[in-house]
Amino acid sequence: MNQASLKRNYYGYLFIAPFVIAFLIFGLYPIYNTIALSFTDATLMSKTGNFIGLMNFERLFADDIFMNAVKNTWLLWILNFIPQVGIAMLLSVWFTNARLNIKAVGVWRALFFLPNLLMPAAVAALFFSLFSFYGPVNQFLVRSGFLPEAMQFLQDVTVTRSLVIFIQWWMWFGQTIIILIAGMTSIPLPLYEAAMVDGATSTQMFNRITLPLLKPILIYVFVTSLVGGMQMFDIPFLLTDGRGSPSGSIMTNNILMYLKFSSSKGHIGAASSVGVLVFFMTSICALAIFYFLREKDSATSKSAKR
Amino acid sequence: MFNNYKFNTNLMRVFVYIVLVIILIVTVVPIWLLIVNATRSTVEIQQGISFMPSTHLFENYGILLGRGLNLGRGFGNSLFVAVASTIITVYFSLLTAYGIVVYNFKGKKLFSNFIVVLVMIPMQLSIIGFYQYMSKLGLTDNYASLILPLIANAGSVFFGKQYLESVVINDLIDAARVDGASEIGIFHRIMMPLAVPGAMTMGIFAFVAAWNNFFNAFILISSIEKYTLPMLVQTLRGDVYRTEFGAIYLGLAVTVVPIILIYALFSRYIVSGIAMGSVKE
Repeated sequence: MNQASLKRNYYGYLFIAPFVIAFLIFGLYPIYNTIALSFTDATLMSKTGNFIGLMNFERLFADDIFMNAVKNTWLLWILNFIPQVGIAMLLSVWFTNARLNIKAVGVWRALFFLPNLLMPAAVAALFFSLFSFYGPVNQFLVRSGFLPEAMQFLQDVTVTRSLVIFIQWWMWFGQTIIILIAGMTSIPLPLYEAAMVDGATSTQMFNRITLPLLKPILIYVFVTSLVGGMQMFDIPFLLTDGRGSPSGSIMTNNILMYLKFSSSKGHIGAASSVGVLVFFMTSICALAIFYFLREKDSATSKSAKR
Repeated sequence: MFNNYKFNTNLMRVFVYIVLVIILIVTVVPIWLLIVNATRSTVEIQQGISFMPSTHLFENYGILLGRGLNLGRGFGNSLFVAVASTIITVYFSLLTAYGIVVYNFKGKKLFSNFIVVLVMIPMQLSIIGFYQYMSKLGLTDNYASLILPLIANAGSVFFGKQYLESVVINDLIDAARVDGASEIGIFHRIMMPLAVPGAMTMGIFAFVAAWNNFFNAFILISSIEKYTLPMLVQTLRGDVYRTEFGAIYLGLAVTVVPIILIYALFSRYIVSGIAMGSVKE
């Protein structure tokens, strides 16, 4: 019997084999290939490029457009992430508050999440239309007297950036609410009851109970949002002309990579180096956050057990 | 004292509902305008904002067709890619997850940790190497390059593993073995039916992700007959459609309405799926 079950466990390899094979072919090799290409001057026209060492990377670091794209990507991500978590946190606290007893939490939550499922390409095109010169927003503002005449919203740096940030917020705060509510409702109620008996205020309870126990979930939200945010493409690409206009203000890492890829010669070597740099930047930041906060977290839970 | 407390709570409740309604308006109005404008003519749209549908739906469709934008074909292409992606993702993710959950093979722990790392790694950034490799294999401009990589869908396997851990019944599997069922037969005939709710959640996410995927399709697919909806949406921004607002909104609405319908039917699977991905036990 034992012999049989040992033998049977080899079936595990058969079950995971398709995944492993597909990962090697479609996951690992492309990563290797991208890294290899980033050291060459390969173009779409040439079959193989020449090895040029770190030249692509040196060029990128000397290139204002690249540095600007990295800066923009971080700016657009951070300015969307802070209000996203802030508002989601506020709403989640309200939704889970027994005293407020908000009705139909499930319905509110489901409606707030809806934008997340919509096609980002369509959302970008929608906001492009809404905020275009003859679009409904201009109509509304002019007719109600807020603006003397229609405005070219998408030629203004601040408006365009704010719009990208707003759209990202609009698409993601609902998802964050669902995650935070799930986290908050998994916190044992007796903790709050005991705190209430001790006369704690709701602010104290939030700071001392909710926030610390929510930490692993906040890390999860933080890391997944960072990984996604560094790859921001559809919204800024389709909101204006696909080159980060006005004046490169919404040019992101991935748009730059795409522009290098789609340039007339198709500089896939240079495009790969953008991909590789962003890949490492994101992975290092994500792993650092993960590792750094995880360690601290397990240390506190150990001391709590004692 | 007590009355004062109650009064404050009520005041707060009113304030909360007002905030919720404002956020709801911000959330829903752009989507509603999109759907309504798809049924209005360009003249009507230019005359002003309206929240009531009009009667120019087919006219708008005709304008799109007249400008060479075949919305029906794009819809069909997107549907094909999304359905194939869903089937591939669900089947192979459950297969992999089942292998991890049921068998105690050497390296199992390492493999499941590796999957968690893969979830965090942004695959999109290896797209250039992927493109060049696919063009060597002759798979560019071919849906296979969009669908086959999903055999190794780490996020979905992670979800599947979490799910199967809660539904797998080892006694049932052993009983089937005694009856002479093969290992793969047990997976197909006993595991799959048990895993239907989890597979639904997994499938909905796979469908939505494939349906909305713009970047990969944009890089890998080049011939217009193979364009999926997000790629057609991208062409809608061109000069040809500059003044045809009604037609543009229709093009966008077609991408969005099926997803809203799916959501209306299956929202509980989606909400529980997101919550489950983040909260472990």
